[in-house]
Amino acid sequence: MTNKETVGVTLAFGATASAVAQADSAAVDNAFTTLKTYDWGADRAALNPIDQAIIATHGDAAARKILEKRLVDALAGGLSRSAQDYVCRKLRVVGTAQSVEALAALLPAEETSHIARFAMERIPDEKAAAALRDALPKVGGKLKPGMIGSLGVRRDAKSIEAISKLLGDPDLQVAQAAAHALGLIGTPAAAQELGTFAKKAPANMKMPVADARLICAEQLLADGAKAEAIALYKELQGDDQPASVKAAAMKGMVTAASRK
Amino acid sequence: MSPGRRAFLKATAASVAMPYLIPASAMGNAGRPSPSNRIVMAGIGLGNMGSGDLSSFLGRDDVQYVAVCDVKRDVRNARMNQVNEKYNNKDCKAYNDFREVMARGDIDALHCATPDHWHAIVVIEACRNGKDIYCQKPETKTLREGKLMIDAARRYSRIVSGGSQRVLEDYRAAVDACWSGSKGLVKSINVNVGPFPTDCNKAGEPIPDGFDWNMWLGPAPWAPYHPHRCSGSYNIDGTSWRSFKDYSGGGMTDWGAHHFGGACFALDVRELEPEEVIFHNENGRKYATCRFPNGKLLHHNCPGRGNMAVEGSTESCPSKPVPSYAGTGGIYGDFIDCVKTRKKPFRDIELAAHTATVCHLFLIAYELERSLKWDTAKQQFVNDDEANRLVDVARREPWVI
Repeated sequence: MTNKETVGVTLAFGATASAVAQADSAAVDNAFTTLKTYDWGADRAALNPIDQAIIATHGDAAARKILEKRLVDALAGGLSRSAQDYVCRKLRVVGTAQSVEALAALLPAEETSHIARFAMERIPDEKAAAALRDALPKVGGKLKPGMIGSLGVRRDAKSIEAISKLLGDPDLQVAQAAAHALGLIGTPAAAQELGTFAKKAPANMKMPVADARLICAEQLLADGAKAEAIALYKELQGDDQPASVKAAAMKGMVTAASRK
Repeated sequence: MSPGRRAFLKATAASVAMPYLIPASAMGNAGRPSPSNRIVMAGIGLGNMGSGDLSSFLGRDDVQYVAVCDVKRDVRNARMNQVNEKYNNKDCKAYNDFREVMARGDIDALHCATPDHWHAIVVIEACRNGKDIYCQKPETKTLREGKLMIDAARRYSRIVSGGSQRVLEDYRAAVDACWSGSKGLVKSINVNVGPFPTDCNKAGEPIPDGFDWNMWLGPAPWAPYHPHRCSGSYNIDGTSWRSFKDYSGGGMTDWGAHHFGGACFALDVRELEPEEVIFHNENGRKYATCRFPNGKLLHHNCPGRGNMAVEGSTESCPSKPVPSYAGTGGIYGDFIDCVKTRKKPFRDIELAAHTATVCHLFLIAYELERSLKWDTAKQQFVNDDEANRLVDVARREPWVI
């Protein structure tokens, strides 16, 4: 039995595993014990058995669920920032809906918001997106760009309405993040919101919005919405647009026209 | 060069009604191009590698260097003084925040040698702001960043060059052998490079005066200051940012950008991305292989094979001319020449990003210890949700791309 297999068996059926597997199980147990007091400056190698367990449990849903639960429980148990950091990095890889509540609890705090998103942005389950959407109106302006950015990277169409409302935010970083996220989401509805805002955008938002609309057009084209992409490119060739945007829109139009 | 700057120079000349003394050098005498024919440049991230890049660009007669940017006050002031001494004036300005450099309309081109976790943000912002950019290798920190950087360069028709001079200069013998046909149809090349990046859990120390630690971290997760965490040393042994996952891919990307770049050049797969990375574990001896759509193989640490070892064949292969730099002055001259001509540079971002993609695919296969299929069109792994989580990282606010 390989190391990969023994750790997997241990986690799923710890009590019945072989002596070798029990040794691996003990190492994982020790690592979780270490995690409780782990802090900056501690030997990172002490947590390696957890890393190895993640590799070993790939494809073993039951073992993974147990491992994820242990990580979630640890996170809820009051850890140092360094230990929270470690757990969130692991949940980035193995997290499921089971992890979302514990991670979402970290979103409002400035110290932990990003590392929670570090996991949540990459967890494909819809519950992760829902938790980010729920947190968006509750977090302060400093954290909002990150939350918006994560929803944008996820191309979360359900957040279009909430993000659109932030296009006019007085905090320029929030407003710019909102425009960019809508560009990444890249649906006809996102394009419409950007287009509506473009007509009234203040001077310092004109280029961020134009850039987002160009990105949006590229997303539309990639998704097969050729007509919508061309319509958007046409709008971006107006005399009110910066020269670089008009040139980019012309180029995009040529690309779109050649696409079957 | 931006039309705005030329128009400004023209307008200024027209408005000067009184006799005006202009240095002969400013008029392009002594063989130096006149100001309107020089590329106005600035540098971002000017530590070890950035310092070398700055000196190379500063030494060119067709470049006018006007701004330096670094989050370490001592570094940026030293580089500013270096530039001002070169020109014997006080025109060069120093910045802590690269966004202020981006906002300057008089700058045509930039070079970037920040730690790797900043590259994509800086390059994309440069493109948005109408600036060409030479970006040190490895150009990307994640798989997702490559496409975003290529898209930004193409969207705004910018010249974006990657930064490995070794791709052409160090592996020329292998490239010549492969492109001349003397090896027959080349099947594979092996590269031996490392080490892997590690997590950094070093305890905090007081932040040195004049060091904007928060800006240095930028999009990376917050961590306490430690000199090893941010040292620009070329050592990859836990005493430099090149050692750590949040800022680098370790030797796999830092040296991999050179070695894999040279190997991809020799294999003539620079314009391709692998469609599969095969993880091998033979009695605990781990190595990996990238397979390209045309069947060519790029091995990493294949047992019994040396670095840049070429596997040829008896199948004939016609010889073809080897591409090289434009202009004069190596990879720096290539970039400057392309800024003027608007041709793609030797290490165009698309080719450079593809090499970085090779590095990242290897890293992810080793991290997960399994083989992976890569959909080059979708920029996703095939049927591997877990691997797809590693295609990118969430960035610390306010940084988004």
